[in-house]
Amino acid sequence: MAVKRTAPSPPTPRPNPNPNRRAPASGADAASPSKRMLAFHFIRALARIHRSTPVPRRTRTIRRAAYSSMARAANPRRVWSRALLQQMRARRATTRRAAVLRRSVSAAPATPPGGGARSIAGEDESTTTLAALARTAAAAAPHRQAGEPARADALRRLVPGGNEMEYSNLLEETADYVRCLRAQVQLMQGLVDLFSAGR
Amino acid sequence: MSSRRSRSRQSGSSRITEEQISDLVSKLQDLLPEARLQSNARVPSARVLQETCNYIRSLHREVDDLSERLSELLATSDMSSAQEAIIRSLLM
Repeated sequence: MAVKRTAPSPPTPRPNPNPNRRAPASGADAASPSKRMLAFHFIRALARIHRSTPVPRRTRTIRRAAYSSMARAANPRRVWSRALLQQMRARRATTRRAAVLRRSVSAAPATPPGGGARSIAGEDESTTTLAALARTAAAAAPHRQAGEPARADALRRLVPGGNEMEYSNLLEETADYVRCLRAQVQLMQGLVDLFSAGR
Repeated sequence: MSSRRSRSRQSGSSRITEEQISDLVSKLQDLLPEARLQSNARVPSARVLQETCNYIRSLHREVDDLSERLSELLATSDMSSAQEAIIRSLLM
């Protein structure tokens, strides 16, 4: 990737262990989440992943941890942060149900009546959950307002919870989302530098 | 935030003025990195939205990329010195 960082301040010559120092102390930081809170949530998640997640699944888990810690550190009044946390929880619930379903199906090959009923009920449950999720996703189809440019549709899809917002809200939420995303990327980049330099 | 103040000024009516919209759009434009848009020129809002979408997508890609690098580094790096550096940086 050609562009590593979008922070205006140049990287310091000596390995600066403090990722917070990279960000300029400008007024723009007033609206973005506290970098310390961002670091706290994410690093705590990283430590947990390091302890307990098997290596093949780590990239995905770290990516999810990045988004959920970003959402947790953000202002809870923000629509995007609440929507992001909801998405994370829903995804965890479906994968858990799918895993339970797989286990129950594989454990009952002969399908006795009781087990058959249970697995069917389990299937119905998981199908209903998936169907419910699909329904909410379809019901939350982007509704374009009068005078809203066509590009806003793409933006609604990119920003969590963007489908339900008014156009002016969408613009505000997008600005906040971009600021937080950028801070998260800077944090992760700082951590990568830290871990690379420590070798 | 100025946009919140101006929203409260329109009592009851839900119509947002063009000026407020363009104000929000210009705030978005300021957020974009300079490589994507000349920050001083007034740019049509469609362009700003387009560039913002591209920017968000590239940030998502960076998160994916950095997640992968972090997962590799977690497995192989020397945790104790990194932990020490992290704790020091968080406390400062």
